Amino acid sequence: MSALGRIGIRGRLTLFYVGLLSLVLVIYAASACASLMRDLREQLDGRLDEDVETIEGLLSWDGSGHVQIMTAKLNEDMRDLEPHFLEVWSASGAVLYRSPQLGAQDLGGAPGPAGGSRGTGHASMRLAGTRVRFAGRRHSIDGVPVRLRLGLSEEPLWEEFWEMVTALAISLPIALLAIGGAGYAVARRALRPLDSMARQAHKITAERLSERLPIGNPDDELGHLGRVFNETLARLERSFEQLRRFTADASHELRTPLTAIRSVGEVSLQRTGDAAYYRDIVGSMLEEANRLTRLVDSLLVMSRADAGRIPLQRSAFPLLEMAREAAGVIEVLAEEKNQHMSITGDPAVEVRGDRLILRQALINLLDNAVKYSPEQGSVEVRVGAQNGEAFVDVHDNGPGIPLAQRAKVFERFYRVDKSRSREQGGAGLGLSISEWAVKAHGGRIELDCDGEPGCTFRMRIPIEPNAMPKNQEQAL
Amino acid sequence: MRILVIEDEPKVGRAVREGLQAEGYEVTLAATGEEGFFVASSQPLDLILLDILLPGRDGIEILATLRKRGIGVPVLLLTAKDAIEDRVAGLDAGADDYLVKPFAFPELSARIRALLRRGKPESPAVVRIDTLEMDMVARTVSRDGQRIELTAREFELLEFLVRNKGRVVSREMLAREVWKETSRATPIDNVIDVHVARLRRKVDDQFKSKLVHTVRGVGFAIREEE
Repeated sequence: MSALGRIGIRGRLTLFYVGLLSLVLVIYAASACASLMRDLREQLDGRLDEDVETIEGLLSWDGSGHVQIMTAKLNEDMRDLEPHFLEVWSASGAVLYRSPQLGAQDLGGAPGPAGGSRGTGHASMRLAGTRVRFAGRRHSIDGVPVRLRLGLSEEPLWEEFWEMVTALAISLPIALLAIGGAGYAVARRALRPLDSMARQAHKITAERLSERLPIGNPDDELGHLGRVFNETLARLERSFEQLRRFTADASHELRTPLTAIRSVGEVSLQRTGDAAYYRDIVGSMLEEANRLTRLVDSLLVMSRADAGRIPLQRSAFPLLEMAREAAGVIEVLAEEKNQHMSITGDPAVEVRGDRLILRQALINLLDNAVKYSPEQGSVEVRVGAQNGEAFVDVHDNGPGIPLAQRAKVFERFYRVDKSRSREQGGAGLGLSISEWAVKAHGGRIELDCDGEPGCTFRMRIPIEPNAMPKNQEQAL
Repeated sequence: MRILVIEDEPKVGRAVREGLQAEGYEVTLAATGEEGFFVASSQPLDLILLDILLPGRDGIEILATLRKRGIGVPVLLLTAKDAIEDRVAGLDAGADDYLVKPFAFPELSARIRALLRRGKPESPAVVRIDTLEMDMVARTVSRDGQRIELTAREFELLEFLVRNKGRVVSREMLAREVWKETSRATPIDNVIDVHVARLRRKVDDQFKSKLVHTVRGVGFAIREEE
């Protein structure tokens, strides 16, 4: 395999079909030779039969119990009968005539008893290094039964046969070489797009993810490969883009408190004040440092969530109870704005999940709702279950979210109301953290701003924890 | 009380030393693991503050060696590595507590007090500050003999402040100890501020001397007015 692996797909393809073709050609050549041989023998047998008939007419008894050929006539009729070998046997197995060319050799020994098949029909044999084909036949001379055997050299036939074999043995490898070469070239041509794809892919780096592979024919196998590769690239590009934006946003968010710390420090150093003044300056710098710490904490939570490194500590708990807890934390913020916060729902709905993480998710949603609802407004929390999913609705009566921005509210650092200060609006990470938390439980957050005024954020969590995504399963 | 601080970052080391000295501790500062190890194995100490990431031998290694030699001084680990595996490794090696950088100084100070107080009797059931009287068992609060009604959360908040009387507690500490909220990625700070404001309204507003103080950029403290 390793040796095969080294010669590449092109070489392997070529080897494979050249091998297959050789096999087919060899079988073809062998059967062609065999059939040629059979034809040649049939021709020879035909000639032998004709000659036997001719010779039968020339045989006569010589008076001494032997048979003679009337050579005068023979020479006349069959000038080319010379290379024939002829034997005449009596029925009792005695040689009655033997051609001088045969010398002491016989053509296959005495024929069997009369009526036996041996000694009749056609057969081949080797005679002093020469291959001979002979025909045997029963005959009678003046009423005395004899057996005739007439042989002809097979050598010309074999010569013809070997000529054919030689011709094939020379031409076949040449043909195979030519076909192999052509096949290799065709394979190269067919695989050439792969080369250019490889070269192009080589040029693609994290910085140049917008490059795509060239696709010749989108419907063939290579085109399919290229398309799949390009789709992967597109996905990668999107996530790189997200990451880039996230990094840019994060450093922007970090820069804001850093700038405040610097400028407050620099300005205070240029003035002389009393202890209270400096205390105030240091306090203000510490506030910014706290903001930085919180931001870094949030970023850390998110990067660990992205890496799937936050293990969920699951336990079964009633969702309504958790909602009351979360509302208990945020309630004071609503009270400060004279808002009414209500929690209703089915106390029997239970989920199996990480209570702290889900509570966190709900706290963020509630905080958001309080933030965007007007003074004297209301925030309603409803808990229930539907189609195997538990849900928590958080309904506010704020101004709603414009359609174009709805998809973006879960994006990191996204603030619907850009005019809000960071202090009021936070870093814009709350909803994306909530979304991560719910997704980690195999659920999702839906946003509904149609119908009644305000918006409803709905957390949906599968009651059966088996429905959670695989990667979270591993994180446990 | 002698505290050894093993910390390679000079600024952090000096700030911690100064802060602890201001609280009345005797502080030795070691800038490398070897130096710290030498001090720890040759002098009597009440507590060691140990940074995990040190040049040369790291904190966990030093801690493990100290424990192997039978030195049982309480150890508080400091590190920027906020990962559960590190916590586990630190606690396995014999650390008594763990604090993640960046930390607020009041937090550090509270952890140190907790470690040094270990095994000593709990604080009394009734605490008086100025005219404020707080009964931890009966869960009642009064000022000038006048009963003050607090919600459960407000009581816990006041209790935490009172137990740390005279010292500043940060919002992180309140979030963790009173609200049991470990993640800082929450809007909990606003919630804390609102609660403190309400507590102040009930405890301080009608009285001349104020007890609940805000220390800007750090947190809150309860103390008698000077």
